[in-house]
Amino acid sequence: MDAMRWERLQALFHDAVDRPPAERALFLRAACPDDPTMVDEVLAAIAEDEQGDSLLDHGVEYAAEQMIGATPERLREIGPYRLVHPIGEGGMGVVFLAERTDLGTSAAVKILRDAWLSPSRRQRFAAEQRTLARLNHPGIARLFDAGTLSDGTPWIVMEFVEGVTLTAHVQSGPFPREARLRLFLDVCEAVQYAHRHLIVHRDLKPSNVLVTADGAVKLLDFGIAKDIGDVRPGEAGQTIARLMTPAYAAPEQARGEPAGVQSDVYSLGVMLFELLTGVLPVDAQSRTATGVADLDVLCSTAMHPDLARRYASVEALGRDVSHYLASEPLEARPDSLRYRSGKFVRRNWRPLAAAAAVVIAAVSLVAFYTLRLTDARNAALAEALRTRRIQSMMLALFNGGDAAAGPSEDLRVVTLVDRGLREAQGLTGEPRVQADMFDALGGIYQKLGNLPQAEKLLTGALAARRALAGPASDDVAISLVALARLRVAQARFADAERLVRDALGIRRGRDARQTPALADASTALGEVLVEKGDYPAAIAVLEDVVTARASEGDTPEHAASLRQLVNAYFYAGRFDDAQRVGRTTLEMTRRVHGARHPLVADDLINLGAVAHERGQYPEAEARYREALALNEAWYGAGHTRTASNLTMLGRTLVRENRFDEGVECLQRALAVQERVYGPVHPAVASAVNDLGSVALARKRLDDAAAAFSRMADIYRAVYAGKHYLIGIAVSNLGSVAMERPDYPRAERLYREAIAIFSETQSPTHLNAGIARIKLGRALLRDGRPAEAETELLAGLDILKQQTVPSVGWLKNAREDLVALYDRTRQPEKAAALRAAP
Amino acid sequence: MAPQFHPVGGDGLPVERAVLDDLFSAAYEELRRLASAVRRSDHASTRSATTLVNEAWVKLASSPRFTAVSHLHFKRIAARAMRQVLIEAARRRHATKRGGGDIQFVTLDESASGIGAGGAEEVLALETALAALAQVSPRQAEMVECRFFGGLDVVETAAALDVSEATVQRDWRAAKAWLAKELRKSR
Repeated sequence: MDAMRWERLQALFHDAVDRPPAERALFLRAACPDDPTMVDEVLAAIAEDEQGDSLLDHGVEYAAEQMIGATPERLREIGPYRLVHPIGEGGMGVVFLAERTDLGTSAAVKILRDAWLSPSRRQRFAAEQRTLARLNHPGIARLFDAGTLSDGTPWIVMEFVEGVTLTAHVQSGPFPREARLRLFLDVCEAVQYAHRHLIVHRDLKPSNVLVTADGAVKLLDFGIAKDIGDVRPGEAGQTIARLMTPAYAAPEQARGEPAGVQSDVYSLGVMLFELLTGVLPVDAQSRTATGVADLDVLCSTAMHPDLARRYASVEALGRDVSHYLASEPLEARPDSLRYRSGKFVRRNWRPLAAAAAVVIAAVSLVAFYTLRLTDARNAALAEALRTRRIQSMMLALFNGGDAAAGPSEDLRVVTLVDRGLREAQGLTGEPRVQADMFDALGGIYQKLGNLPQAEKLLTGALAARRALAGPASDDVAISLVALARLRVAQARFADAERLVRDALGIRRGRDARQTPALADASTALGEVLVEKGDYPAAIAVLEDVVTARASEGDTPEHAASLRQLVNAYFYAGRFDDAQRVGRTTLEMTRRVHGARHPLVADDLINLGAVAHERGQYPEAEARYREALALNEAWYGAGHTRTASNLTMLGRTLVRENRFDEGVECLQRALAVQERVYGPVHPAVASAVNDLGSVALARKRLDDAAAAFSRMADIYRAVYAGKHYLIGIAVSNLGSVAMERPDYPRAERLYREAIAIFSETQSPTHLNAGIARIKLGRALLRDGRPAEAETELLAGLDILKQQTVPSVGWLKNAREDLVALYDRTRQPEKAAALRAAP
Repeated sequence: MAPQFHPVGGDGLPVERAVLDDLFSAAYEELRRLASAVRRSDHASTRSATTLVNEAWVKLASSPRFTAVSHLHFKRIAARAMRQVLIEAARRRHATKRGGGDIQFVTLDESASGIGAGGAEEVLALETALAALAQVSPRQAEMVECRFFGGLDVVETAAALDVSEATVQRDWRAAKAWLAKELRKSR
């Protein structure tokens, strides 16, 4: 065939193919009366076109399936080994179970499939053989024999390990943390042995570690191992980067740089993290997910992106695991984290260290991706790197050390974040990545208490995303929610609500269904409404979210929505609901985050607060103490979280008249709060309130009055004159007046408190009810029984609706009413009250 | 025996050996991935052909020999590599079937794929037919290489060969029909 004939054939094909089938032959014969071969050829081609069933239609993958996908299964014998069946298949070769015919022992035979393909594959296979030949350790599968088939296919015979992978082993039953760690130490042992023989494994992962029935570990697959210090030409780092498993690859390996013993340390760190938490670090909510601060430090030191700060050897990593098992202090406390002074900060070094590590990771990721971007300009890659995981990882860590706590004191974290900011500012060529970084860093600056910087970054990210992704994009919705949270921190609640409602509008516009993204935005709205004090609206929003999320199962987000709903119920005085949902939340949090996570402490505190408000003090005390143990372990004794936990415990103890214990808790808490927050802060006011309450109970009236006045001043300054907490302070001042006794003053103060409660909560809120009972008592003592009766009955009514009968205030109200009826000679009413349950 | 193939970099110089080796390994792994996706009937993953080749390119892009090579050009080179690997595999399989070597490659289910039982022969026949097509229309032969072996879509193929998309559609249809006819003859 020549080019002209091909042109002719094609032209006829196109002319004929679109004609009705019956006309084609006629048309073709008329077009080339002298060339029946051409007619046949075109008709045959058209038949193929219509059938569409050729190799070319099926795609290259079907040819590949036949040429390359096949397993060599007719191979029966290699040397003295009889092949039984294939047991595994990797990128390099096929592994068979084999029997040694003369000895009857089992072995594993690995052959390099398609060895002809490239010399580098043959070299790698030969290198594995050389490596294994040098290693003789019970924790490493041994090499027995090696050779080449007549067609050039190389094979090696290894010890057959009958076992399951490390991951499957620990998942096979209840496996205590200590047992996991001891198993991990055995793995370290074997890797260390290889290192001593100058071999780096380079592909450590749970599936390359088998555990036998008697619990012994065996390291497999030295397929891409290499000699320490050996940089062979042609074994470029890029090649290895592609061969190894990304989740376990050290950053330097992912960058294609030479791997050393510390790369194995990194992979072991990832394995340890996975062993302890069941998830990979990249999938984890945070790197503090092991639930034990020391183990978090251990993992993050092993996985440190900076070689200088990673464990220098597997031995050092193993030593710290042993230290942990022996309850000894770790060696992994970098010098820079030892503080000269300030117990508070020093006790918080754990979350700080982890935060610092992740910030470094984020910064180097930015650098890494930037490099890749300029190299490749690959849109798909650019999309992949816009991973939210970087952000969520960083933010999750900073969420651990909240508000004005620890991190703001810590220069290194600030320095690192500033460095991250400079990196991000340099990303002008990648505006989307830059916007993501601004968004993440804005959230961090907010946590660090630098609200102006947070404002600048978050508004910058929002503007950039509006321009890049469009005003109604998901990214803009995310930015709006982030900015709304900042507005809450700035106490600009109306702005916050508007922003988060805009975000919700975008979410609804993009997808009418209830989606997790929509639920997140709705939760944020609920949060804003709770902060704003609009509890009924918050409850309505959050109940919808929780209903929509019911099908989602156990997720951190689902638990967060539930937790927010518990808050809303609590503040609205719906304690039954708060307790019911609070218990559900606690269970879910334990399942999602593990039993020792600080969020578990938060849920316990919520339940303690509900029990306290309902007068169930023993339960409240138990919940608070359980939470305290978690918070002290996680944050340290001098952290604000621990302090507010102590405040609540102290408050309960005081209600139980255990003054000395209570005062000790409260004074410890106050000292921390004043140091961290300064003298004018709600947390300080809360601690002062409780010390005032104790002083009142002990009849130290001047102390009590001073405390409650300070409390009222703080709340007035913070909440601009309107908040139920001001009512609490005023009501407590009324109680001091009662003790003096100064009934007209008490009456004035109680009436003021009732007005505040009615306005900021509701006229039927528990607080209003209690204040009315107090007012009733003041009026009764002042000799005004008619007015007193009105208040007492009203208060009793409110209390009956909301609390269990044993609550102290209910009893007080009844007693006062009985006294009132006795005095006003209404014995039947008094008797009725006495008979009431 | 390594495939006889010497692609050139953007500067016209042969691509260095190690990089070439790596490219062939990537092409091989891609084919293995596609093959196992077919065996698993995982259509979603066969549809995203050349994933590994794309990854390989991202990684090789930093090699000095590849800095001047565009992504599209790389995809064409990769398509060539896939073709070479597949044909080399077919040659070997053809040889072993006729009695050579220790290993007999047997597919798990030869009839399932809808291609004739002599898969190796068919691939070799395609190679012969493609060589004949290259004689009369080099552009269409390249097109088949891009579309079939490289997994390039119509838009990419049009850009790679600097022709309109309509031309690609038309030329590809005719070439495919004719090649199919030739393959049937070989059965």
